[in-house]
Amino acid sequence: MILDFSRARRYFYRACGSFTLPIVITDSVFQPGVFSTMREVKVDGPSGVQSTPEIEKKYVHRVYDAIAPHFSSTRFAKWPKVATFLKSLRRGSLVLDTGCGNGKYLGLNPDCFFTGCDISAPLINICADRGHEVVVADALNLPYRTGFGDAAISIAVLHHLSTEDRRKKAIHELVRVVKKGGLVLITVWAVEQEDRSLVTKWTPLTEKYLEEWIGSSGPCVRSPSSVMLESIPETEENDSGGQLKDSKEISNEKLQETIHLSSQSEYDSVASKSGKNIENQQEYFVPWHLPYHRAEVSGASACALANGLAKKDDKKGAVVYNRYYHVFSEGELERLASNVDNAVIVDRFYDKSNWCVILEKTL
Amino acid sequence: MRLLTHNMLSSNIKGVTSGFPLRLEVEKVVEKQVDFNADFLNNMFVKIEWKALVDASRAMGYADLPDQTEPSMLDSDEFLKKFHHALLELHLEEGALICPETGRRFPVNKGIPNMLLHEDEV
Repeated sequence: MILDFSRARRYFYRACGSFTLPIVITDSVFQPGVFSTMREVKVDGPSGVQSTPEIEKKYVHRVYDAIAPHFSSTRFAKWPKVATFLKSLRRGSLVLDTGCGNGKYLGLNPDCFFTGCDISAPLINICADRGHEVVVADALNLPYRTGFGDAAISIAVLHHLSTEDRRKKAIHELVRVVKKGGLVLITVWAVEQEDRSLVTKWTPLTEKYLEEWIGSSGPCVRSPSSVMLESIPETEENDSGGQLKDSKEISNEKLQETIHLSSQSEYDSVASKSGKNIENQQEYFVPWHLPYHRAEVSGASACALANGLAKKDDKKGAVVYNRYYHVFSEGELERLASNVDNAVIVDRFYDKSNWCVILEKTL
Repeated sequence: MRLLTHNMLSSNIKGVTSGFPLRLEVEKVVEKQVDFNADFLNNMFVKIEWKALVDASRAMGYADLPDQTEPSMLDSDEFLKKFHHALLELHLEEGALICPETGRRFPVNKGIPNMLLHEDEV
């Protein structure tokens, strides 16, 4: 695979089955118009970037809390690239795993000492039961002294953060907590999935929820958190087709108005979006199927079904949860990481449908 | 929660300027044996805030750490063993961590500190 990480690229190459497919794109098309428009809206909520938006509480935190034991039972394979990174660290290093999940990387290098944190208490309980040193904490507000860690890892965490400011803040926190010269490994799910059939099982948020995300008063006055708070009607599938079509037409008009006020490039990108270019789609609900026999064990699923957070799928015999994902486009993680003043990117790669960077703290 | 973790944790409430060290509220202490790793202890020695470790270990009922240190102590096996024990083998199983500036209480249950903040604290 050829990877071109320059920001002004005109081509990118994507592994597609057994051959490499060059795809000609323009920069403008590459930027997802709707969401870049939304992201640029600067409306500070009462408590700013560190306040967790409702979409993450509902479609990330509560879901992992509810599925923790089942999720953990499926998460045991260690990703070789992460293992290689951890094994390359100096003997005696202190490694911080922020967003450690069920702790599968904690202790991977027996010559180092690991400490993990995650916002999900049920996942942290699983880590503690396995004898790991862990803390319940938010990756956007790490409770660690500055510069204490020798290295830090953030594996499959940043794609659960719903705004660019929050993704940036998480990277800043990772760099803050390691010493000068310390390394930070970050991996995130890529738009460019090796198994394309996987993506068809995901629910794209812009298509389905476009009208609600844009909202009646337009994105310029609604705060991102309020958009997320009220905007994901779970009964929408039950709406009649006619109503849905009407609301879509209306929202598309609004969208065109909005885009008209912004740059031509954004207009282009949205035009291509309506052509269903999957490469531009970055906001998804990714389903998690919790088998009935697992769900019965946990009272959390009954609650989730009662309040609409999950649905039953009798054919699959599972309670279906949706997890929110922002999948990263090529170069996006590097762009966010290069924003950090006191760190440089020392490595970057694509592997197993993930974009990855390694940062070194310089000051 | 080991005292190593106590020595790296800091209250991160918005507006707090000196959130370290967190005061210990001790209800239950357990000891767990850990393999000795001299490289790790040498690496940690320069990071650790010694007074915070001494005070915390005393709050946990362990009074064998010296008040003052100097790098030459790392050559002493006896010192390293005490350092190792205080840093890694003493666990706060039940209790709390108290923010030195605001008095905010972070609970520690089943050995796990909960450092999550409320909406009005971030």
